[in-house]
Amino acid sequence: MGKTFKVLAIPYQIWLYILVFVPLIAMVLIAVSNYDSSVPLNQINISLNHWSILVQRQNMIAFRNSVVFAVLTTLISFVLGYFAAYHIFQSKFKNKFIILTIVILPMWSNLILRVDALNNVFSQNNIISSILGFSPFGNITGKPIAILIGLVFTYLPFMILPVYTALEKIDYALQEAALDLGLTPFKKFWKVIFPLSIKGVVTGSIMVFLPTLAGFAIPKILGKGNFLFIGNVIENKLLSSTIFYNHGSLLAVVILVFILGSILLLTRFDKEGETLL
Amino acid sequence: MNKKPLIELINVTKSYDGEKVVDNLNLTIYENEFVTLLGPSGCGKTTTLRMIGGFVQPDDGQIIINGKIFNDLPPYARPIHTVFQRYALFPHLNVLENVAFGLRNRNQEYLINFFGQSEIDRLYKEAYPTHEKKNARALHKIIQTMIDKAAQDALALVKLTGFEQRKIDQISGGQQQRVALARAIVNKPQILLLDEPLAALDLKLRQNMQYELKEMQTKLGITFIFVTHDQEEAMTMSDRIVVMRNGLIQQLGTPKSIYNEPVNRYVANFIGETNIFPGTYVKKDLVNFLGVDFKSQGYTFENNEPVDVVIRPEDFDVVDIEKAKLIGKVTFSLFKGVHNELDVDINGVKVMVNTYETYEVGQSIGLSVDPYEIHMMKVENNG
Amino acid sequence: MTNEKQYPRATLQEYGYRDFSKFEKPLTVLKHILFFVIFLMLYLSIIVIAIQSVNSSVRTSEFLSITFDWYPNILQEEDLMTAIRNTFIVSFVATSIATIAGTFFAVGLYSLEKKKRQKIMLLNNVPMLNADIVTGFSLMLMFRLLMPIFPNIFGLFTLVMAHLFFTFPYVVLSVMPKLKETDPNLMDAALDLGIKPYKALIKVVIPAIKAGIFSGMLLALTMSIDDFVISYFNTGAGFDNLSIWIYGVIGRRNLTPSVYAFSTLLTLFTLAGLMGYTFIQHSKKGKKGELK
Repeated sequence: MGKTFKVLAIPYQIWLYILVFVPLIAMVLIAVSNYDSSVPLNQINISLNHWSILVQRQNMIAFRNSVVFAVLTTLISFVLGYFAAYHIFQSKFKNKFIILTIVILPMWSNLILRVDALNNVFSQNNIISSILGFSPFGNITGKPIAILIGLVFTYLPFMILPVYTALEKIDYALQEAALDLGLTPFKKFWKVIFPLSIKGVVTGSIMVFLPTLAGFAIPKILGKGNFLFIGNVIENKLLSSTIFYNHGSLLAVVILVFILGSILLLTRFDKEGETLL
Repeated sequence: MNKKPLIELINVTKSYDGEKVVDNLNLTIYENEFVTLLGPSGCGKTTTLRMIGGFVQPDDGQIIINGKIFNDLPPYARPIHTVFQRYALFPHLNVLENVAFGLRNRNQEYLINFFGQSEIDRLYKEAYPTHEKKNARALHKIIQTMIDKAAQDALALVKLTGFEQRKIDQISGGQQQRVALARAIVNKPQILLLDEPLAALDLKLRQNMQYELKEMQTKLGITFIFVTHDQEEAMTMSDRIVVMRNGLIQQLGTPKSIYNEPVNRYVANFIGETNIFPGTYVKKDLVNFLGVDFKSQGYTFENNEPVDVVIRPEDFDVVDIEKAKLIGKVTFSLFKGVHNELDVDINGVKVMVNTYETYEVGQSIGLSVDPYEIHMMKVENNG
Repeated sequence: MTNEKQYPRATLQEYGYRDFSKFEKPLTVLKHILFFVIFLMLYLSIIVIAIQSVNSSVRTSEFLSITFDWYPNILQEEDLMTAIRNTFIVSFVATSIATIAGTFFAVGLYSLEKKKRQKIMLLNNVPMLNADIVTGFSLMLMFRLLMPIFPNIFGLFTLVMAHLFFTFPYVVLSVMPKLKETDPNLMDAALDLGIKPYKALIKVVIPAIKAGIFSGMLLALTMSIDDFVISYFNTGAGFDNLSIWIYGVIGRRNLTPSVYAFSTLLTLFTLAGLMGYTFIQHSKKGKKGELK
């Protein structure tokens, strides 16, 4: 491209260091401090007293919930999302832009509004039942299945897009070569197409797993508060009368460890971030 | 020649967007022959190849292989394998696994048939002398080992022994091409389709591969159907050449016959630089062109019928001006190593002549040509 | 040439394969049904919102009759209008800056050596992969620590900063692949013709990558308009965007249906934009076909 433009990257580097690096460091430091809203800034010092919250029963349940739901959501999204992406891929739809937009379109509506709409449909008397006379989902509001459905279909686009991108990148000649060598279409999928789309699967899985793990709005609304996620715990730390920055930071750092692990995993499979979109 | 027909294309037609890409093609291909489909881009040669392979369905007509109609049979069921133009090697597998791919994915029944029950029994006894009855897992292992060996043998055939564990992005284009070849022939197909496989190689490599491919075809005894736009390539390797244009066969014959006896202008020009003069077939064994009567042989036309006379540049002989039937002035001379390419002006007509000796521009030289080197074609409107 | 000979058809069986073609049709139908169900579930909430927007009853559990009154009523709801206005201000400002600056950043990154670029890309991907809550929280902490210097920092400024934080990566990641696809000689050709580097960049490279810029902008706008968590933690002085406002109001169950109307309008608007874009693309293609 030209060495003259290298300089354009410098402001971005600075930006990334300041806004990505520094806040994370700040958060890690505060996680090992005594800082909460009752402590003035000049009295912050190191303290690990609050680390006991990590083993509080309530918080451990919250961790468990977050992880279990995140794993389940990812698995289900993988199955449904790969199927949907593959279906679109096979349908000879030429314009990727249309697909990108159709899959993203629901995300243009407000998340809270959408989740609330789902919650509505999951209740006994809801807008659908008043039109059709029966409730297609029964009365699952507040139950784990409601949270699961909500999570899966909110984040499904994040699985569909990377998988579709990875599938599109597969040279069509490879499919012909597989058929030429005697493989039936069924075998061709498992031996050629699927292995070559793993990049997209990994990306998609991470893009579903992480927000599910750290989310709090969806479980709160669809679970009617019955299930505590780690995100809810952090939110509560901030809404209480004394804002426990150090508690919140600590819990956030735990989530961060998961995130960093995922990023490293992703870079192993997809170095240039091709399937991230 | 009592060769058995292996493939018969009967009235095969294919259109894209209303345009006929393959137009009522009729072609018979025999066992153990090297056939080349030759023509420029868009002439239908690749489409024809792909129809034989099963990747494209003909709109009309029949593709008969082994005496059966193959039109509806999917590519995976056909005893045909392809070497693709850009090789299509699987990036997630190493060289050995690429070559072994076809065999690895066959069911056991096929593999037993492929390798032969007796050979399998022999190897099984060798490896497991104590087994009374065949153990399923052990049998599977034996077969896999046999596949490994077959793949290694195929790699040896293409002179790539030692490359088994390499990743395909670690090998050169020429090596990739050979892996693609090995991958196809290891399965012992009846027919091998080659879709311009040498197009991406540099000249020296391409020439080497041409010889190797020809040798391989003779050795393996399978029918090679080769597609190219390079006439030199076609001439080097083929038993027969099919010259195509706009979906139609222009001429079908041995390299020699196509070179020496082209049936129309298109074929004559396609197969190398040549002189085409308008002339008249005066009577039997006498033809008139460039204002001079020449003795000819071997052609029959109507008396005084206009014909196109084809004489290859190398077929002109330079003779003493006194004895010459044609006299002209050299207007251009290019040293080509093996010969000189001259343009000679004879009565205003530019004649191409190849000579071993060098002649100066401006020099007058005398030319003559032997009767059996005068070739004639029917005059066409759009030859 | 007449060929009277009748040839038998080759079968899959004789070459060792089983014929599953009778399963093909029902399987395909099943696939289409499953796909439709997934699609329906994806859009279920949108459909419900659309229904609510024409529901004459304020109570969301029953549908009385169809009315379009909630649509013009959007303009009457002051709180809603403020929230909408705030959302658009923040999103458009952030998206504009992100798109323009992000494109240049991408060019700069593309010019770097592979190793250095990959290191920076690692940092670039963090905002996209990081959980909203961690991002929101950490940014908030940092801004909070700056409060002694800038006491009124929380508000529009922090909100825009926070949005830039997660929109830059989307633009960069959309533009980069397009940069990679462009002919590397393009730039050289321009320089060869005597055009100065930055002018060449704008006149030659930018048009070549405009598809990437456009999709980056679209993604940035999408992420920004609907953002909740990060905005939740990084706003102040009562500067609520739409998400925060809804989250606050939804607990109190007196949500005006005009919100649904607005959301549906937004969806339809985007859909129309998509149709328009596709239509333009197709008519361009049509013209090309005729020229042939």
